[in-house]
Amino acid sequence: MKSAWKNWGGCLLAAAAAVGLLAAPAQAQEKKYKIYLSLSYSGNAWQSEAANIVKALAATPPYDKMVELKEVISGTDVQAQISAYESMLSDHAAGIISFPVSPTGLNRTIKRGCEQGTLFFMYDATVTEPCAYNVSYITAGFGENTAQALVNALHGKGNIFLSRGVPGNSVDKRHTDGAMAIFKKYPGIHVVAEYYGMWSDQTTQSETAKALAAHPDVDGIWAQAGEDGAIKAMLATGSQKLVPVTGENSNGFRLALANPDYQKRGLQGVSSGSPPATAGYAFKLMMEMLVKGRKLSTHNIEYPLPWVPADAVKLCPGDRFENGCNTFPAGKVPDSFVTEVFEPTLLPELSLVTALDGKPTPGATIQPLPAALRAAPDTPGINCGKCTPTGDIYKLTKVQPTVQP
Amino acid sequence: MSGQDRRAGGRRGISGDVWNALALFGLTALLILGSRWISPGFGGWSQAKAILVLSSFVVVVAFGQQLVILTGGLDLSIASVMTMGGVLAFTFIGASSPALLWGVPGVLLLTAAIGALNGIGVVWLRVPPFIMTLAMGIIVYGATLGLTGGTPRGQPSPLLSALFTADLAGVPLVIYLISVLAVLGTLLQRGTGFGRRLYAVGTNPAAAHIAGLPVRRITMMTYVISGASAGLAGVLMVGYAGGATLTMGQSYQLPSIAAVVVGGTSILGGSGLYLGAVGGALLLTTFSTVIASIGIAEGWRTVIYGIVILLALLLLREELYVWVGRLAARPGGIPPRSTPSTAMTGGNK
Repeated sequence: MKSAWKNWGGCLLAAAAAVGLLAAPAQAQEKKYKIYLSLSYSGNAWQSEAANIVKALAATPPYDKMVELKEVISGTDVQAQISAYESMLSDHAAGIISFPVSPTGLNRTIKRGCEQGTLFFMYDATVTEPCAYNVSYITAGFGENTAQALVNALHGKGNIFLSRGVPGNSVDKRHTDGAMAIFKKYPGIHVVAEYYGMWSDQTTQSETAKALAAHPDVDGIWAQAGEDGAIKAMLATGSQKLVPVTGENSNGFRLALANPDYQKRGLQGVSSGSPPATAGYAFKLMMEMLVKGRKLSTHNIEYPLPWVPADAVKLCPGDRFENGCNTFPAGKVPDSFVTEVFEPTLLPELSLVTALDGKPTPGATIQPLPAALRAAPDTPGINCGKCTPTGDIYKLTKVQPTVQP
Repeated sequence: MSGQDRRAGGRRGISGDVWNALALFGLTALLILGSRWISPGFGGWSQAKAILVLSSFVVVVAFGQQLVILTGGLDLSIASVMTMGGVLAFTFIGASSPALLWGVPGVLLLTAAIGALNGIGVVWLRVPPFIMTLAMGIIVYGATLGLTGGTPRGQPSPLLSALFTADLAGVPLVIYLISVLAVLGTLLQRGTGFGRRLYAVGTNPAAAHIAGLPVRRITMMTYVISGASAGLAGVLMVGYAGGATLTMGQSYQLPSIAAVVVGGTSILGGSGLYLGAVGGALLLTTFSTVIASIGIAEGWRTVIYGIVILLALLLLREELYVWVGRLAARPGGIPPRSTPSTAMTGGNK
């Protein structure tokens, strides 16, 4: 955890200085900023939590008086999102905050919008059009770090499953490439099954159940989102044995990691991956550009990678992440709820109601962002078109090898 | 070929349908035993158990889907109805066990009502079944999204989960449940007046109408049952996954139709047996499990799965037996069957 926050730590001072900047133009504010929230699809916990955070922030004072937010859900089809963008541009949107369906397919429309003066902020998924701003954890190394954690847990040898995301998706490819870069170093690690869980708990559960039928002797599971389904599939076999699992941020997965009975049966692992709170950070950055004329030093901003190993799971007594807690007690939220909906430094305005209902936290006001931000490394096909990656893009940042290949 | 001939064919097909279903069960068992060569973990009881549990959702939705197909229709709303059933169960029944007593019938009534709307559209408004049910699916999906705001909130039910985690003599409880359902469903089709009228309507709705059968009410009833069976599958899914998402039904739309057709039911209506659809569901799930374990890229795996479904349809459909039978009986030629076919589907709308 510590290394992740090193860069952010120094920013607090700058944050205090920026408070005054925000207040002044807010008073003079007459016109409302027309902001569009463009989702690809809604229907899983992650997407609706991210959208709810943006809606809640837009309704938090003083933004409630300054922002006119409209939400458009266009589905998983690129053409549909292009035409959604086009109508937003015809309506002279000041800014579009969006989860893009494709890293390249939307570029032409985005370029046209930038020329018109519309700001484009992409959260989580990215686009390669240079005029858009990407705010994402993708480049932060989820794949390689979780893969190394799994290798460490298996002491460098064993049969593993790869529970992937959506076939053909650039995010799935980046994660898997990162993971394979690690697994290939260890000749003792064998990928015995590779399947697509579609980032859904149910699909991951049934696909894992099929893989377990073929390979009951599996030693570990490397999973993307949907990891709670992998745990449920193991529990459903009725076998006492559980194996190490690395995955993303569902509340059910974190509860399972911290369950002493499961730990005794062999479950260990780490919860990492995509945080819905990214959407809130992207929205606040965009608003600071619009309202305060903030200039950003880069178009590709990296959101810190969450990293919660089993021994770091800490239950939250209340509705916020306070005192280092990072998981909600069973029953408070569904197992599929993605826990990373808070960020105390960047997004102190958020609480559970913001993620669940899209309503502002009572009494909260928008706090300015730290002046510093972390630039994401150039990654071809993810955040730039024709560029050369700088340095080792699969460098480990969260965990170090405890076993040598 | 007249309606008389088809009915005669149907009556002869009773034992044929049963044989067909038994052949599917046998094929499934062979495939499970044979898959030992693909993966050493295969071929045992744990694989069979996993397949039975995974196919239980298809077995349940296929019941209603088959009744609709028997009357010459098609239900494309089941994915959304299944999702709605799951979301309702997750939200309103929650962790309370007594709530199952009113909650499950409540969910089934509501999803049956959605089926009834499908039925009204098809029977009285004369909307083609695939358009009516497709539109209904979109409406139901939208309503579920609106109701939940994207995140269904609720509690997993321990009793529903026990269907999948608890066992009796080493067999998960849900397998007993689908076995009972398979027997009851087959009895409903072959042992009751409703079942017999259903085949008559599916074979030739015009003739059934002239014969004084309540064609509209029977057709309507199949959509009602299809809605309820999709709802029940959704409820079971909540037990399996311990939660509900808005995409939970999506992967069951095509398998529900494929299981019915692979199970020997004519897509034109009028013939088929639930036991066959159960066999179809088991066979397809077994195929997908075995294919999943072959170490090849996802794209090629999907290609193989598609080819397997196509081959199964070609080899197992009842028309083939009838066709081969006719060919053997009358070497002079094959009687044209396009006229009665269009009459059947057209007459139903």
